[in-house]
Amino acid sequence: MTELAKAWLNGQPVAPARAAAAAASLLAASRSAVLAGLGTDVAGARASVALARAIGASIDHMDAEAVFANLEVMRRAGWIVTTPLQTRARADVVLLVGDGLLEAWPDMAARLALSEAPRVTGGGRQVVHLCPGAELAESTATPRVMATPGPAIHVLPTVAAGKLVLPTLAALRAIVAGRNTSLDEAAAASLRNLAATLTAARFGVIVWSSATLDTLAVEMLCGLIDDLNRTTRFAGLPLAPANGAEAVTQTLTWTTGFPPRTGFAAPAPQHDPWRFDAGRLIASGEADAAVWISAFSPKPPDWEPTIALVPAGTAFPTPPQVVFEVGCPGRDHDAMLFDPALGGIAFAAASTPSATASVAGVLAAITEALPPC
Amino acid sequence: MLTRLTGGRIVDPSNGRDDIGDLWLRDGRIVARPDGAQADETHDVTGCVVMAGGIDIHTHVAGTNVNTARLLLPELRAATAAESVPITETIGRLYAAMGYTMVVEPAISPHVAPQAHLELADIPLIDTAILAVLGNDDYLLRLMAANEGGAAVADYAARVLSGSRAIGIKAINPGAAAAFKSNMRSFGLDDAVPNSDITSRAIINTLQAATETLGLPHPLHLHCSNLGMPGNAETALATMDAAGDTRLHIAHLQFYAYGKEGKRGFSSAAPRLAEAVNAKRNITADIGQVMFGQTVTISSDVLRQFNARGSARPRKSVIIDGDGNGGGIVPYRYRKTDFFNAVQWAAGLELFLLINDPWRVFFTTDHPNGAPFTAYPDLLALLMDRSVRAQHMETLPREAMEVTTLASITREYTLPEIAIMTRAAPARLLGLADRGHLGTGARADVAVYRTQPDIAAMFRDAALVLKDGVPIIRDGVPVARPFGRGVTVRPEFDTAINRGLSDFYERVYGVSHAAFDVPGAEVLGRSQAFEAVPCRT
Repeated sequence: MTELAKAWLNGQPVAPARAAAAAASLLAASRSAVLAGLGTDVAGARASVALARAIGASIDHMDAEAVFANLEVMRRAGWIVTTPLQTRARADVVLLVGDGLLEAWPDMAARLALSEAPRVTGGGRQVVHLCPGAELAESTATPRVMATPGPAIHVLPTVAAGKLVLPTLAALRAIVAGRNTSLDEAAAASLRNLAATLTAARFGVIVWSSATLDTLAVEMLCGLIDDLNRTTRFAGLPLAPANGAEAVTQTLTWTTGFPPRTGFAAPAPQHDPWRFDAGRLIASGEADAAVWISAFSPKPPDWEPTIALVPAGTAFPTPPQVVFEVGCPGRDHDAMLFDPALGGIAFAAASTPSATASVAGVLAAITEALPPC
Repeated sequence: MLTRLTGGRIVDPSNGRDDIGDLWLRDGRIVARPDGAQADETHDVTGCVVMAGGIDIHTHVAGTNVNTARLLLPELRAATAAESVPITETIGRLYAAMGYTMVVEPAISPHVAPQAHLELADIPLIDTAILAVLGNDDYLLRLMAANEGGAAVADYAARVLSGSRAIGIKAINPGAAAAFKSNMRSFGLDDAVPNSDITSRAIINTLQAATETLGLPHPLHLHCSNLGMPGNAETALATMDAAGDTRLHIAHLQFYAYGKEGKRGFSSAAPRLAEAVNAKRNITADIGQVMFGQTVTISSDVLRQFNARGSARPRKSVIIDGDGNGGGIVPYRYRKTDFFNAVQWAAGLELFLLINDPWRVFFTTDHPNGAPFTAYPDLLALLMDRSVRAQHMETLPREAMEVTTLASITREYTLPEIAIMTRAAPARLLGLADRGHLGTGARADVAVYRTQPDIAAMFRDAALVLKDGVPIIRDGVPVARPFGRGVTVRPEFDTAINRGLSDFYERVYGVSHAAFDVPGAEVLGRSQAFEAVPCRT
């Protein structure tokens, strides 16, 4: 941590080393701490694991629900997926599903060149957006805004009652598989056309954002992809959740064997998406200290952290006892981050380098300041 | 710091040494016995065997496919996945405990090299390297389709090696992953990638030529087509012929050692393959031995893995139509009662025992595809003691043993042969002049094993392991936790290749080709700089 790092203790500016020592004392005195948010880069994720191991804390990510909407399907049933580059270079049919695609990846349409022909395979490209403005559950409020503009994209709304995604996907899968549905003739006809497009594809790709689809919808899409692969080629392109979740999940997996929602109180790490949900641990009072890590976003959590690593401008209703200002990975400092356009973790050089501390630097200073056990 | 190992049996075939004596180390290197100097530290290794640190040339320990396997199998974590897809910390500890000091992850597509290097940077105790996978990548296929010539391919390969910080080139069922994206469901040596006349054979020859043009120490490392299929020994034999007189390393040869004899139409063809390897001095091979138990197959042969989905245990798999190869993760359980698995086990051992030259056969289980690397000590026992083999054969289906020659083979590997196969030959194959032996000037990576009747126990927990002269393992337990180096090659190339690459990537993929480059050691979190192995001149 550089001398220029900024830190506050009980609302007063202090030297970063003093703040690190105070944070270390708070964590050392806690019986069950949680590292939450985890909006950080690979180095920050590594440092989070090191601190969590040292104090027997658990680790969660603020977008873990979106991580698990995909992961619960993948690790229960498996899936067939592809990359953004292959989608751009080869996909003759792209099926966009649901909302939140541009929120997950603002450059998606341009990066996937949706309005252009695939360059490697040639020929045309058909793009269909299924279920824009749809709802995940009956109780959800107003429909979301249709996310993907552009004249080249054929929009196909939800056909099932109540604007629900899942029954529409279920009906589509049934029609592709040659089974009957309970849809009326008009609704079934539009899905039959789509099914014909999908089965005629040579290399089709289904794109979704797990931030807006639940596990059942993702499972239905993966099942549809499996079915289509009996006769042609199809793959999924799940868009990565926000706040660095993909690179953090990958890093936790190679260092601990598990994605977020893992605890380090026992000799071997334990993974349990319910037990180590940071929101639940805090709401139930099981956690007696919470570190909030959010290098990409100044939005505070809806609970009160003990210690926070946040960008300038973060406004807490009640200030945490210790606050560190951290820089944005890839802007203030070099970082290894997941890049949605590349489909993998890559080097992101600092675009406007600053002396603001990194999450990894602050967490290492806290870990260093822990009393010997 | 001067260190002396005294009283051990020093087995160092590179230097023709097999005797009881002393080994002297200073500042991370092996040194000649200094005149009159006193050792600062002396290890009495009487009753032990002293060898150079082990080097594994083919073990899937890092990268997106390996990490996907970790994510896919949380339910096996506590039991077998801890060994078949261990986390980075465990990989370093378990390898070092067996006396290994370097491993090569052999299947990294250049676009996912940054993650692979991040993972390798987190493996403690041992040195690491990757092979970069070419042969299904759009740019190579474009260069070949346009007849751009060998120099352009060599420049491209060198650019990839440099960007992905790799030590050599691997091809994995070349052409098949590209063909699978066009819905081909099988792909042999002379099949062509759709919409082109580019065959697997042509890709192999093109990448062999690039390897030789660049003077890469490691020959082209090839995963052949038709892996796992009955009768695929013909493919392996045809591939060896296709190599001509040029060097070629064939990976996990066991998975191609199958005939179609017998009632089940599946038999060992290992003797024919061994005979061919013995006759062709340009061919090297690692075995990819099968051992029984739960594992997970992790392969960039996406076509083969897609076709193997039905055999998944547990019943789930991941298929990735990636850039270049992609891959497939299919969990699998090798069972002693299974006829096919028993034939595979026997075929691997036949290859080990029937290939005469230990300098050209390499000790692997294709971790974790044939078995986790933690099975190495048991495999060494099988190779060094025919009574151990006989005991195992007793427990396997008789019908399976009838379609192999294993029962008739009496050979037992000697310690010098083991030292060649697991140290000296791997170092030579990778161009690592200062590893794999204990001569003056060699890196002081040293493994000490306590001689005992139980060979597996001897090799499972090394009595002492030194990395760069520093003790890291005692009686199988880590006593220090330094981090090793990443090892690469840095072939020269004409940077004009960057123009064509840049145009292609911007136009076809909409991104910069340089965006996939692996950054320096410090950004990866490595404490030491990358070490570059010189190319052959």
